Amino acid sequence: MNQARRQINAWTFVAPSLILTLIFGVYPIFWALKYMFYDYQGFGEPLYIGLDNFERLFRDKEFWHSVVNTFIYAGGKLLVTLPLSFVLAVILNRALKGRQLLRAVYFLPTVISASVMAIVFYVIFNSYNGMVNQLLVGSGIVSAPIDWLGPKYALLTAIIIAIWGAVGNYMLLFIAGLQNIPEDLYEAASLDGAGPLRKMWSITVPMLGPVLQMIIMLAITVSLKGYESIMVLTEGGPYGKTEVMYLYLYKLFFPVSSGGTSIQQFGYGSAVGFATAVIVGLITLIYFYVSKKLNDIY
Amino acid sequence: MSTLHAAAPKTVEQTARSVKSKKLLSRTLLWIFLLLVAAFALFPIILAFFGSLKTNLELTTGTTMLPKEWKFGNYLQAWNTANFARFTWNSVFISVFTTLGTLLVGTMAAYAVARVDFIGKKLYVMIQSCTLFISIGAVVLRPQFDLMVALGLQKSLWGVIIILISAHATAFFMLIGFVRAVPRELDEAAFIDGCNFYSVYFRVILPLLTPALGVTALWTFRGAWNEYILPLVFTMTQPALQTLTVGLAGLKYGIGDAAQPQLMLAGACLSMLPMIVVYIFANKSFMQMTAGSVKG
Repeated sequence: MNQARRQINAWTFVAPSLILTLIFGVYPIFWALKYMFYDYQGFGEPLYIGLDNFERLFRDKEFWHSVVNTFIYAGGKLLVTLPLSFVLAVILNRALKGRQLLRAVYFLPTVISASVMAIVFYVIFNSYNGMVNQLLVGSGIVSAPIDWLGPKYALLTAIIIAIWGAVGNYMLLFIAGLQNIPEDLYEAASLDGAGPLRKMWSITVPMLGPVLQMIIMLAITVSLKGYESIMVLTEGGPYGKTEVMYLYLYKLFFPVSSGGTSIQQFGYGSAVGFATAVIVGLITLIYFYVSKKLNDIY
Repeated sequence: MSTLHAAAPKTVEQTARSVKSKKLLSRTLLWIFLLLVAAFALFPIILAFFGSLKTNLELTTGTTMLPKEWKFGNYLQAWNTANFARFTWNSVFISVFTTLGTLLVGTMAAYAVARVDFIGKKLYVMIQSCTLFISIGAVVLRPQFDLMVALGLQKSLWGVIIILISAHATAFFMLIGFVRAVPRELDEAAFIDGCNFYSVYFRVILPLLTPALGVTALWTFRGAWNEYILPLVFTMTQPALQTLTVGLAGLKYGIGDAAQPQLMLAGACLSMLPMIVVYIFANKSFMQMTAGSVKG
């Protein structure tokens, strides 16, 4: 009796969470799993077309182009963010005057909205009259203004913005990991005459192993998924140079700006959504497998 | 003999000095590096602030970082003409109710999961973790929007709020850790004193969770305040319901007139300001939450 009542009590407490999750989190996934086999433009009767959407997907150059862009974007972001935040974490994990303040400053960008910052960067990176160019030209570092949002540099600018927003976050995650390493390991190593680099390779990296693996995995998935700031900054342009896959996907469902229009393709969009989720999942799996292998060798 | 004697202490002193100067050099380099990164982190925010006080003309042709003439009127213009008063209210509304809802739904579920071995618990936790890992991007917004149309909520901010609350998996997992940290003996003592499942939640768990709730609330509030795509999709045809993030991005497209970068920057500063103020007072809590996700 008592046990049965406890069951019911627990279920009433879980119910709001479960219902919300099922309706707004799980149902949309099944919706997509259904409509990816349909030709559905948002109006009229959806038409079952089997695997046609996937056939189209494989021929869709624009999509694969956006996948390549996503890899460049995520790769560029991670190549700078991870080493930089790791170095900062190691430095700020030691006794250093002002480290609390520095941590707070580095972490500050992560509390600001990506879309708001994209607007700020849009203004200050503006090609002929942006403040960054004014300062660069004014101080003589470059002779002519750089077209930051033009076809040549737009993706680089997007990467710089992504780095700006991410470094503080990963620094903090690394610090949290570093703090789990017992201090006496370093003391023992010092007694044995190990230098700072030696300690880094023989203690910090191996001890951080699993946490490091988790943080990098998180970083990979997050950076593959990010498209908010690019959407505000360039909308994927110019000429698709900054089109990443989740932005391409978004455009199949909704217009980019409140004044804009889009050709709604819910059926094909669902197939693209499925494909992007599979791509992210595959990369995560590959990373997981490779890093595990490396761990075993170590 | 005498020369040897005289030389020996000198070399020691010299090496000591060179070690010292080497240390000084590496310290200087270290600080240059740290300050450069700090400058990189602060630079865009500072530029946005100074830029928001310039005239349109100075912003597009000037060459100094500081404004020549401090135009605080930009903020008034953004607040009144560009409708930022409305956007701010909408952002506050969404963020407050999303935070309250997430905390309520999250703590209830976390309490049940942490304290009772109910049937289907594993399945429930698995569903929650799946929502964290599977991401099909903007696709979900379409059925979510249709659901809100069916519920008649697509024309109010409640649609956005409910969907934001439904994405409470992260808060839920963090709250489980916090509930588990409350000793079970306290529950049991309360049961002996005549409390039941519900009153333990209200009288024991919630009061003891207060600090943790503060941290989770900050985290959720930040997420809701900064959310862009969801409110964009829901308010595309309803400017009166737009949040700061959506309204600000809308300025990029100009409303019939030429682009006004100084207004964009003033609006951006208005949107950032509340978060930055909260951050100045509570940065430890923000960082604790991030760090907590690693420690598990």
